[in-house]
Amino acid sequence: MNKFIAIVGSNSNKSTNRELLKYMKKRFQSAAEIELVEIKNLPIYKKSADKYVPQEALDIANKIEAADGVIIATPEYDHSIPAVLSSALAWLSYGIHPFVDKPVMITGASYGSLGSSRAQAQLRQILDSPELKARIMPSSEFLLGHSLQAFDENGDLKDEKIIKQLDGLFQDFLDFVNISKQLNNANEINKQKAKEFSWDKD
Amino acid sequence: MKLVGIAGSIADQSYNRTLLNFMSKHCKGVADIEVLDINQVPMFSQDDDQTNSSVIQKLSNKIKSADGVIIATPEHNHTVPAALKNVIEWLSYEIHPLDGKPVMIVGASYHTQGSSRAQLHLRQILEAPGVNAVVLPGNEFLLGNVKTAFDDNGDLKDQRTIDFLDTTLQKFIKFAKVINMIDADDYEKEDLSATGKTDTTVEGVDMDDPDWLNKAAKKVNAVEGNTYVKLDSGLLTVNQLNYMLKTTPIELTYVDENNQFIYYNRFLPTEKMLAKRTPEQVGDSLTTVHPGKERVIKHVKQVIHMLRSGKTDLVSMPVPGGDSDHHVMHYYKAMHDEEGNYKGVNEWAVDLKPIVNEYLKQTGQMLVPDPNAKVDATSGASKKPDAPVDATASASKEETEKEVKPEVDATSSASKH
Repeated sequence: MNKFIAIVGSNSNKSTNRELLKYMKKRFQSAAEIELVEIKNLPIYKKSADKYVPQEALDIANKIEAADGVIIATPEYDHSIPAVLSSALAWLSYGIHPFVDKPVMITGASYGSLGSSRAQAQLRQILDSPELKARIMPSSEFLLGHSLQAFDENGDLKDEKIIKQLDGLFQDFLDFVNISKQLNNANEINKQKAKEFSWDKD
Repeated sequence: MKLVGIAGSIADQSYNRTLLNFMSKHCKGVADIEVLDINQVPMFSQDDDQTNSSVIQKLSNKIKSADGVIIATPEHNHTVPAALKNVIEWLSYEIHPLDGKPVMIVGASYHTQGSSRAQLHLRQILEAPGVNAVVLPGNEFLLGNVKTAFDDNGDLKDQRTIDFLDTTLQKFIKFAKVINMIDADDYEKEDLSATGKTDTTVEGVDMDDPDWLNKAAKKVNAVEGNTYVKLDSGLLTVNQLNYMLKTTPIELTYVDENNQFIYYNRFLPTEKMLAKRTPEQVGDSLTTVHPGKERVIKHVKQVIHMLRSGKTDLVSMPVPGGDSDHHVMHYYKAMHDEEGNYKGVNEWAVDLKPIVNEYLKQTGQMLVPDPNAKVDATSGASKKPDAPVDATASASKEETEKEVKPEVDATSSASKH
């Protein structure tokens, strides 16, 4: 069975993105093992002369390395992903490169009607950068709008249409992960290139 | 023009900070750029709202009182650094200092891209409703290959780059002036009736009560007499404070941030004062002390708005109609707490002529007219004499129309504190 790491893109205790990932973990438990990972205790990303990376970021990196894929749920703050998620991704590409060629599914929830659409678009660009170089599942948007009203008291999504869409996308993701496993001819060289690339080298 | 610069990086070594420092140095005389520090800003979290922390309040106050903001962003993972985004999140959650603020984006990066993608993300971010900044369109300044761009003094080496930066900055200054004009009549919102309240407003006593002082003092159990008061650089009793203030030969007036007149140093009887106050006026709102004086009210609003918004920290005006024996000046100085929050006006009135006479007498000199002097040497802002805006008492007889221009550096002698 595939194992996925699910990153909660918010540091808020009351996060509907966390709720969404919990729901996915429960809903798809027979198809995949999903482990939720929190990033809220990571400090703000800061470069240092000795390239220090916090232990917690290293632990998350190891989990991602070992996983078959990553699911990210992001809220939208000011048309983009929260600083805390941006910061986590910066740590996770600072001398370590767990995301290279890793299949990623992007989801997101927001209180308003747009469901974090612009944050997700930026997140795609970010994950596409040379040091992250993730393999983002193409043409698959899951935008959960009005997220405060979306779940029932058991934490289950209420809207059948949305559940159906999520089911379909998750099945796509499983297929995408399986295909991706065969597309690894360039993996070694990709990893090498990510390692050699640096934002502060020319 | 007063600008603040934010370097998007918190790395110890940041070329974007170098770029801002260069801009600040290079455009001296055209604009005053203060580079702000974002290193100590905590991680944004809805669960731990630190909007009121001193580091965020300081940033917010600096931005609010600036005419524009320049953000220099590096690019990391195709976007702006988390540290920069983090600051913007705090400044768009419970407070919105960037709302309507002219912003110019510049960026430097190690690669040829020169932060192109980060700048586009930043534009989207600044567009968000909670931020609502007004970003200068076009005029992209992308400084690529930054490692070789500066010399040892932190100056840009390439003249064409400098010229382009100059042009861009000039455009931004014009842009900022235009954008700020949208809010130019904001002074109308200044509430001279003091209907709001601050953390020091005494409630439950009518402001216009002639006995406001005693009633308000009782209400707050104010100390008096020989009780000690610890000041920031001294220890005095209330009596000692009074002794000193009442022998300070300058008329001092305290108007708090709620536009309530709460103190003056009564060392002269009312009729002898340059700006006349009576003990019964203490506690009054500024509307009450200017009954039926529409034009004065407008001027007072303009002056207070400039001080409150940080457009300037000092407004000074000569009282017209003086004779050769008197040159009365009114000064209005914004007061702030440690975090830069506006705390009211310190107004003082003083006759400069006796001081000048004393100086001439002691040094054996005399005054002669300067053939090259422009009219109204004290305030270069207008050719006609300015009416005084006595923020507290009714202004003097000649209330000539005076537009307080938004660009006040000419009328004020200082712009920093």
